Amino acid sequence: MATFKATWHHIRRSPFQSLTAIFIMIICFLIMSFYALTSHGLSAVLQYFETRPEVTIFIKDGLDQNTVESLQKELAGYPDVKEIRFISKEKALDIYKEQNKDNPLLTEMVTASILPASFEVSVSDPAILSQIAQNFSAKTDMIDEIIYQKDIIQNMLIWTAFIRKIGLIIALCTVTVTFFIISIIIGMKITNRKDEIRISRLLGASKFYVKKSFLLEGVTYGLLGSLLGSGITFSTILYFKNNINVYFQPINFVSSDPNFYAVILLAQVLFGILVGYLASWIGVKRYIKY
Amino acid sequence: MRIVFKQVSKNFGFIDALKDIDFEIKSGEFAFLFGPSGSGKSTIIKLILSQITPSSGQITIGKHQLSTIGKKDIDSVRKKVGIIFQNYQLIPDRSIEENIALSLDITSHPKDKIQSKVDEVIKKVNLTTRRLLYPSQLSGGELQRASLARALAINPEIILADEPTGNLDRQNSWNLVKLLKDINQKHHCTILMATHDVDIVKSLNKKIIHLQNGRIVKSKKI
Repeated sequence: MATFKATWHHIRRSPFQSLTAIFIMIICFLIMSFYALTSHGLSAVLQYFETRPEVTIFIKDGLDQNTVESLQKELAGYPDVKEIRFISKEKALDIYKEQNKDNPLLTEMVTASILPASFEVSVSDPAILSQIAQNFSAKTDMIDEIIYQKDIIQNMLIWTAFIRKIGLIIALCTVTVTFFIISIIIGMKITNRKDEIRISRLLGASKFYVKKSFLLEGVTYGLLGSLLGSGITFSTILYFKNNINVYFQPINFVSSDPNFYAVILLAQVLFGILVGYLASWIGVKRYIKY
Repeated sequence: MRIVFKQVSKNFGFIDALKDIDFEIKSGEFAFLFGPSGSGKSTIIKLILSQITPSSGQITIGKHQLSTIGKKDIDSVRKKVGIIFQNYQLIPDRSIEENIALSLDITSHPKDKIQSKVDEVIKKVNLTTRRLLYPSQLSGGELQRASLARALAINPEIILADEPTGNLDRQNSWNLVKLLKDINQKHHCTILMATHDVDIVKSLNKKIIHLQNGRIVKSKKI
């Protein structure tokens, strides 16, 4: 209890230093929470594409009905094929019109004849997709183009990995800066209270006795900073959740699972406490030498 | 708790702060360290508190020989020593009550009994109306009584007073000395008081360790 009282006393007696420490911790955890949520959103996008194994085969114009049917039969012959949808030129036009209904200029210029017919093939085993893509790409007389999810996923993987790396570097830099600032602030506080420490030591206080209130101070900054930083990020993201999810439709970029937020919060609070403790430990080790 | 110095010397570079000091203060005894400024009084107090180590010789406090004990034992020796300084050494941003409570917390006094002990010693030094004030709000005499209250709170086996009357007027000096004498008689704790005030030393029939230039020139009971 006396340690809590002493810690509160230290925080209260140098409010600007304490506020700076809490503020820098908040900034650090704002960035960390944002990184965690973005990373989770990107994973959701990736997962969406990965769990929808699909290949789209555009066929050349002018093929007769028998050739189209034989292609469909060939596709149906592959194992693990879930569904084959034939999108005729007319249907392709309907889809195009639906997608561009807000822009009549675009729809007026397009007719069914300029759009290619296609097969959309869904499979239950994604491994079969590459086989279909490989075999059909050889039929250059009948097949115009093949769009295979693998390309999209590979591109997305490159981008998400890049975004995650940049995010991780920013988060690590912020944690490092925060660590040193907290350590310096604790050091300044120790210097300000050197008489108190000296008197306490003369009264018989052990080194740990005088250190523990400063260590608890670092932990307090970590706890408050992580709670407030995470809290601000979570409430902001949840406030804009619907807008963000509409943009990424049908993917839920922002999770609605309360357990997810609880786990992130817990992890961040523990990390905050650890950072605060280690930073103050360095400060204490460096400045309390008597 | 007795204090024994055997052939203790302390040098600061080429300067001999203390040279071959020998004395023994028995448990429950009241003794004066008497001498002018720079004679080595504060050095002896610092050596007893293990703030500094002797260049040679042996210091024994109770059962502990200071040259051989570990850091933990130094803390435990300090916990049995009440200290009073000329400049009071109270923590400026804590109230008198909090300053006393801190020393009790350091000595692991039971938490539920800290307040009653604080009340008791504050009453003993007659500072009841000043208990919530900060050191800067008290007079010199009151500060020295607060310092004494802090020393008394831990039920010390030794009280070390380093020029406690140095900043006090005559009346407050006498009051403090009287308080120390009463404590010595009632609680039988060893008291070692460093002073250069010859009137105070002569007023009490106590042991005197007379220092000059780091050497004992007289050690006797008046």
